[in-house]
Amino acid sequence: MMLGSQFRDEGFGYDLFGMHPIGVERALRIGLPLYHRYFHVTSHGNSNIPANGGAILVANHGGILPIDAAMLWIDVLRWTARILRPIADRFLPLLPFANTLLARAGVVSGTRANVRRLLEQGELLAIFPEGVSGPAKPYRDRYLLQQWRGGHVELAIRHQVPIVPAAIVGAEECWPLLARMPVRLFGVPYLPIPWTLLPVPGRIAIHYGAPIDLHRRYQPDDADDPAVLANAAQETHDAVEHLIARGLAERAGS
Amino acid sequence: MRVLVTGATTPLGIEIVHQLLANPHVDYVLAVGLEPDAVAQSCTHARFTYLPLDLTRARAVHDLLFGPARDLRIDTVIHGALHRSTQATGAKVHALNVETTRQLVLESLRHPTIRRFVHRSAGEVYAVRATEPNLIDEDVPMELDPRAPQWVRDRVEADLTVCAQLGRSPLSIAVMRCAEVLAGGTGSQLWDYLQSRVCLRPIGFDPMINLLSPEDYARAIVLAARSSATGVFNIAGADTLPLSRVVRHAGRRDIPIPGPFLSPLYRLRRRTIGLEFRYDLSSHRFHLGGMLDGSRAARELGFLPEHSLWPAARTAPAPGFLN
Repeated sequence: MMLGSQFRDEGFGYDLFGMHPIGVERALRIGLPLYHRYFHVTSHGNSNIPANGGAILVANHGGILPIDAAMLWIDVLRWTARILRPIADRFLPLLPFANTLLARAGVVSGTRANVRRLLEQGELLAIFPEGVSGPAKPYRDRYLLQQWRGGHVELAIRHQVPIVPAAIVGAEECWPLLARMPVRLFGVPYLPIPWTLLPVPGRIAIHYGAPIDLHRRYQPDDADDPAVLANAAQETHDAVEHLIARGLAERAGS
Repeated sequence: MRVLVTGATTPLGIEIVHQLLANPHVDYVLAVGLEPDAVAQSCTHARFTYLPLDLTRARAVHDLLFGPARDLRIDTVIHGALHRSTQATGAKVHALNVETTRQLVLESLRHPTIRRFVHRSAGEVYAVRATEPNLIDEDVPMELDPRAPQWVRDRVEADLTVCAQLGRSPLSIAVMRCAEVLAGGTGSQLWDYLQSRVCLRPIGFDPMINLLSPEDYARAIVLAARSSATGVFNIAGADTLPLSRVVRHAGRRDIPIPGPFLSPLYRLRRRTIGLEFRYDLSSHRFHLGGMLDGSRAARELGFLPEHSLWPAARTAPAPGFLN
């Protein structure tokens, strides 16, 4: 697939959310050496990512900065030539510089209307249902899924798109959290204190699972049923947990 | 269709009058403005009458509706008489912005010939916050902060005054919340901002901005007047681009500086040079953007923006990387 065919230019070289081809290129130029030579990312099961149409990638989240999200973004671009639209927490637009740099690469603030529009456009989204609770967890809890919010299943059912579970193994050791300082700056809920000044080199493995076709089992109106959402969210939780376990087992065996 | 247009002497009012008169479905236009004969001089048409009128006088509004408007069998009101200056405050300004709107809509409810009321509101009525989407649809909360400038508060109150009558009577109402029209004399804050050769903006922020051309604005209003669709409609423009690009396309110099300095600097500039631009009105937008989602207007009114403010820049080829 041509990357350009996914880019919805609003007339001045930017899409509605501020993504810009040069921003994508710059992010890739910075990220690719890290992807290959610093984090040695390996990709498993990337054929499960739909080649086109709207879909939601759901993954675990950890580490201080979203290194896992960045590696996932590059991995999807590398193997499917699709520009992943990671959904960021709502404090992102308040962060100076980061908000613009990330928006140019395709990151979108996680409000319901933004996500709805992206799915209507047939974009591939990445949602981390743990939200901030993932990166905020102590190192001893690494790879233990935290509070698993159900917004992603509601979106998938309402917009009739598949969910692709993914596990990112290795990112949590790259830059672990030492402590959280209760300093609220630019809307960020805490100030992270890392174990190391910079992320340490490591090996990150990304495992994609088979798509969960909630849209085949449920009608859009079922997105209003709390029981349906709870069951579906549990299903995606279990799928990601299973992939994490598989990734950790493979890492231990290698 | 026989139309009463308020605020007809403003640049946007004049554009609406011209588009109405160019429309074969419009039988008559009764235009009202404060100036003695501004529109009448620019427009001599058999289907057109201009009445100079101070709409802040309740009796004058009543006499207009139940005098000339009834005699001319006006069936549609396009109301857009709002104070444009951000510096103007006080009871007289509030009277035009809010009380006139209230009186017009309430008296239209019991008017013998008026069946359609189109209120020209603005995108500034929405609260722009990090928790709200980049794309603002009609369900996003409105700016109800009591600390907001009167310019915003009045627009919100006028908008809500009209919305309160939605569905309560046979009068069909459309509230048009329009994106910013980048043109002089329209009350556009961005236009005033771009009047300086050097444009300061918050460092680290370059939000996406959506702009509407005067032609598209007037076309959307005329479409709403002709339609029977009721409710609130966001009207988005054809141009969506980062703030820094807006500054560049306007031929100005863009200098990012730390956000906290902007408000005092622009206040100082306003007091010394007398610019209309108020940074406190735009600070949220200069940090977070906030563009109107025009999907509902496209769906129900058939409105799609057509006129770019910078057509030459739009035709520039996209960088080759993605292809």
